[in-house]
Amino acid sequence: MPKCLVCYKWTLDEQDIKIKPEDLSLDASRAKGKISDFDRNAIEEAALLVEKNGGAVDALTYGTATVKQSLKDVLSRGPAKVYWIADASAESADAAVTANVLAAAIRKIGPYDLILCGEGSSDLFNQQTAARLSALLGIPCLTFLQKLSVEGAVVSATRKLEDGTEEVSVTAPVVVSVLSEINKPRIPTLKQVLGASKKPNEEIKLADLGLKPEDLVPKATRSSVKGFVMQRKNVIFKESSAADNVAKLKAGLASEGLI
Amino acid sequence: MPGIIIFSEDSMLAAQLMTPALELKQSLNQPITALALSEADAKALAALGADHAVFLQSAGKWVDGCAEAIFAQVNKAAASIVLIGGTLRGKTIAAYVAARMNAGMTTDAKTLKVENGKLLATRVLYAGLALCEEAVVLPAVATIRSRTFLAPPAAATPGTVESVTVETDARVTLGAVSPTGDTGVDITTAGKLVAVGRGFRKKEDLKLAEELAAVLKAELACTRGIAEDEHWLPIARYVGISGQTVKPDLYLAVGLSGQVQHMVGCRESKVIVAVNTDERAPIFEAADYGIVGDLYEVLPLLTAALRK
Amino acid sequence: MADDKYDAIIVGAGPAGSACAYTLAKRGKNVLLLERGNAAGSKNVSGGRLYTYALELLEPDMYKRAPLQRKIVREQVMLLNERGSTTIDYFDPAFGEQVPQSYSVVRAELDEWFAGEAESHGATVASGVLVDGLIEESGKIVGIRSGADEMRADIVIAADGVNSLLGQKAGLFPDAAPNSVGLGVKETIDLPDNLISARFGVKDTEGAARVAIGCTDGISGGAFLYTNKGSISIGIVFNLVEAAKQKRQVQDIFQDFKMHPAIQPLIEGGTSVEYGAHLVPELGYNGIPKRLHREGFLVIGDAAKFGINTGLIIRGMDLAIVSGLAAAQAVLETNSPSQTGELYMKQLERLLLTANQRAYQNFHNIFEISRIFSAYPNLANDAMQFLFTVDGKTPKPMLSGLYGAVKRNVTLGQLASDGWKAFRSL
Ligand SMILES: Cc1cc2nc3c(=O)[nH]c(=O)nc-3n(C[C@H](O)[C@H](O)[C@H](O)COP(=O)(O)OP(=O)(O)OC[C@H]3O[C@@H](n4cnc5c(N)ncnc54)[C@H](O)[C@@H]3O)c2cc1C
Ligand SMILES: Cc1cc2nc3c(=O)[nH]c(=O)nc-3n(C[C@H](O)[C@H](O)[C@H](O)COP(=O)(O)OP(=O)(O)OC[C@H]3O[C@@H](n4cnc5c(N)ncnc54)[C@H](O)[C@@H]3O)c2cc1C
Ligand SMILES: Nc1ncnc2c1ncn2[C@@H]1O[C@H](COP(=O)(O)O)[C@@H](O)[C@H]1O
Repeated sequence: MPKCLVCYKWTLDEQDIKIKPEDLSLDASRAKGKISDFDRNAIEEAALLVEKNGGAVDALTYGTATVKQSLKDVLSRGPAKVYWIADASAESADAAVTANVLAAAIRKIGPYDLILCGEGSSDLFNQQTAARLSALLGIPCLTFLQKLSVEGAVVSATRKLEDGTEEVSVTAPVVVSVLSEINKPRIPTLKQVLGASKKPNEEIKLADLGLKPEDLVPKATRSSVKGFVMQRKNVIFKESSAADNVAKLKAGLASEGLI
Repeated sequence: MPGIIIFSEDSMLAAQLMTPALELKQSLNQPITALALSEADAKALAALGADHAVFLQSAGKWVDGCAEAIFAQVNKAAASIVLIGGTLRGKTIAAYVAARMNAGMTTDAKTLKVENGKLLATRVLYAGLALCEEAVVLPAVATIRSRTFLAPPAAATPGTVESVTVETDARVTLGAVSPTGDTGVDITTAGKLVAVGRGFRKKEDLKLAEELAAVLKAELACTRGIAEDEHWLPIARYVGISGQTVKPDLYLAVGLSGQVQHMVGCRESKVIVAVNTDERAPIFEAADYGIVGDLYEVLPLLTAALRK
Repeated sequence: MADDKYDAIIVGAGPAGSACAYTLAKRGKNVLLLERGNAAGSKNVSGGRLYTYALELLEPDMYKRAPLQRKIVREQVMLLNERGSTTIDYFDPAFGEQVPQSYSVVRAELDEWFAGEAESHGATVASGVLVDGLIEESGKIVGIRSGADEMRADIVIAADGVNSLLGQKAGLFPDAAPNSVGLGVKETIDLPDNLISARFGVKDTEGAARVAIGCTDGISGGAFLYTNKGSISIGIVFNLVEAAKQKRQVQDIFQDFKMHPAIQPLIEGGTSVEYGAHLVPELGYNGIPKRLHREGFLVIGDAAKFGINTGLIIRGMDLAIVSGLAAAQAVLETNSPSQTGELYMKQLERLLLTANQRAYQNFHNIFEISRIFSAYPNLANDAMQFLFTVDGKTPKPMLSGLYGAVKRNVTLGQLASDGWKAFRSL
């Protein structure tokens, strides 16, 4: 009956972020928040594990004041309780700060048998948090999982790597990160959506985590963020005759010396 | 004296890391220590100009298990910069080491330099929507993906090689390891690619793309969904932020929408061609040439036309 | 409160649903507002001009809290032909002095705000929930279904938009017939505020509304442009049946419209940030289903096909709000569920929604005059061209020149019959 904690990040939906043509700066004014894509897989996996093995799932997030918008959403996806840390420092936090904050929070609310993360956050995609948490908490780490199961205290998993897969197992507690293919996140039902408002959420104040000021100073800072724009010819053939289009494309490829 | 450390369990990638390491050595005037999991790798890296190469000898087979041992070496060398090959294992080890060092880390750096006591890297944000500069205070860790740099030529004077016995993480038990098939092709070196996406309705339909690829002398590539969700093609063939980065002369994208997470892996291709039914699909903005049309109609015609 | 029984369940968090939920919640009812989009407004495409009286009916001064864009002080009508345009321009900065007459709005913002207003009065708002069925017991509607879940209420109010699935499931009307709806496509284009003000000749908080005809390849329909803060909403509404018969794609016609020499400079340099297509009720009064209620069930807003499209103005949101208010007042008025439906119809009369719809009852017939969409705009431009041409040659007599412009585009017989038809429609 594992006690699980899933760490999720509330990020901007990158599909709503526009690149301003004047200076290539990013305009996120229309961007809505979302639970980072792969974190939905982590939440789902925790929910599935608990449905199968018993136990309980909590969720934990660290973000700016906007993380409050995520609470109902995450609770409708399975976790029984969500802990949230809302602090302006999250705006510029790097993976080091994020891991420091999350690890301190886990020490306070834990212990947990299984701590789940997504494979990477959809904004920064640092792919660091899980391994950093394992280092800070002094427990093992299994990353990039395609399959996960728990039997008693033993956690078994299949990792999917560039050159193949590997089976690994370890005794809890452990930090894991999951790939998106591990499951298909459920679409919360009406009852789950309504039930979410009745589940508890607890704010954790950053000041109560006993962190030193330097733990909150990012070591990596981002600057000169510029949207990426493609310079392409954009010659598009869209006549109703596919054969004509194909002939024109063939001519185009020939002019590029590709055929 | 502080130094630069490099590590990758992938021999080719380790050699590529020597290029930025040598550049950084120029500006920092610090020696390079290369860590390797085989004696051959250690020797090869010493030959490429690592001042010192250390073969980490262990009984454990689980690569990630050597993270703590790598941290010990880093600590010993008082490393100012640690460059680690950006494979999935490498990233796991790098993040662990960075946390143990209490250091910052930049993921998938595209360029690297040192300025005012900071490691400056360019990298992507929002899965490729934007580029940014990330400045990491020293000591700093960076991961670098395969083929970001070319391996340097052999050095005039090779460095020294040492072998140390290390302990690996015994808490994790490694079971069966299954290499992926299809190891023969490497889409990252192909001159032409036909990339397929979810516009294909079933696995058998990929025949259409295979036939086109055959006349073009191209290899098949795909989107993440085709490899990871449908398992129609091996994982080594998918392109994007979490897949491969390719720069072929021709990238012919069929039935794929062109989301930024995919395009970031192929946008440096010389010519991009799109076939898609949806005129508003983002792939057309990223394409030099495109046909708005049904791939089931267009591909056979195109294959036939190119055969002539 | 019982866990799965509400006083009212409202399906759809558009203006109709939110207005209804707001009114009921404010009066202490236990209300559940369900929306299939991830947030209220996330799926809504609309030109975005809101006639403010509707919010004023809901609650005096409510419009002051709403996320409105620019106050419309300039009304422009453009008659386009291939080459040029003739524009009628009505400007009055004091238009609607007391309560401004209308504002441009951005639906994603407006809808989210509106649902939030209902929530702040205690309504439960649940988004990401698709309602796919009704629970019926002894001839009454007693709740809704969403997947395997059921939820009960004294009354279910369908505010689920023009394609109302619930109205069909309740057996009140069939699937919307193609000739009863128009197809609207709309794009939002970001532009700096100062450029918008300069191009449309308005001050920073003021805005312009334009409609255009003659830009639809002869298909019955028209285009609109509204100025927002930092963006322009531009779109075309087409008759669905005629559009379907056309060989050209609707998007291409829209693209041509945007590239028209009289339109392109207005949007030049902007970035497209949003594009969508949506249906609109087309028939006005004649399209409203005969029955809008059953015991335990009411239909409001676009679901009830409330809508007025005169070619000069498009109204839907205001009618949606008024009908939401009417439904709420009917629910509040009685404890006897069997009467709610009749009371709702009375409220629609009392709030003048029915009268508004009836006033334009025959208006739709005008759109059967296909020449409105090409021949007449052409005629206007030909006439203008004649009137303003000075080339040193002997000018034609005024009358014969104008007559020439008419003759090139329509016959006298057509003119007479169209005029008669138009007169009767008004
Ligand atoms: C953090 C993160 C990382 C990601 N990493 C990657 C990555 O590395 N690589 C990757 O590929 N994706 C990645 N993704 C997923 C990515 O966002 C897209 O979802 C994915 O690339 C879309 O795949 P697709 O184009 O095959 O499918 P779709 O987006 O579904 O597109 C299918 C296209 O086919 C067209 N089509 C349909 N039928 C036909 C027909 N008969 N003829 C012609 N065209 C047709 C459709 O119009 C459509 O445009 C990532 C996502 C996230 C959030
Ligand atoms: C291009 C265009 C331009 C327009 N311009 C204007 C204008 O300038 N001024 C004006 O007043 N009107 C305009 N309209 C009309 C106006 O948009 C509509 O009349 C108005 O939105 C109707 O509001 P409603 O609340 O009834 O329906 P909608 O706004 O359509 O809202 C219905 C809601 O119900 C939800 N829903 C539907 N089915 C379900 C379900 N089964 N379960 C859960 N939720 C569901 C939908 O997601 C949606 O949020 C325009 C329309 C179009 C298409
Ligand atoms: N601010 C955060 N709050 C909670 N979890 C986070 C946060 N940032 C990252 N994570 C978790 O760490 C994973 C990897 O993130 P990253 O290292 O940023 O790529 C995410 O998928 C989340 O599970």
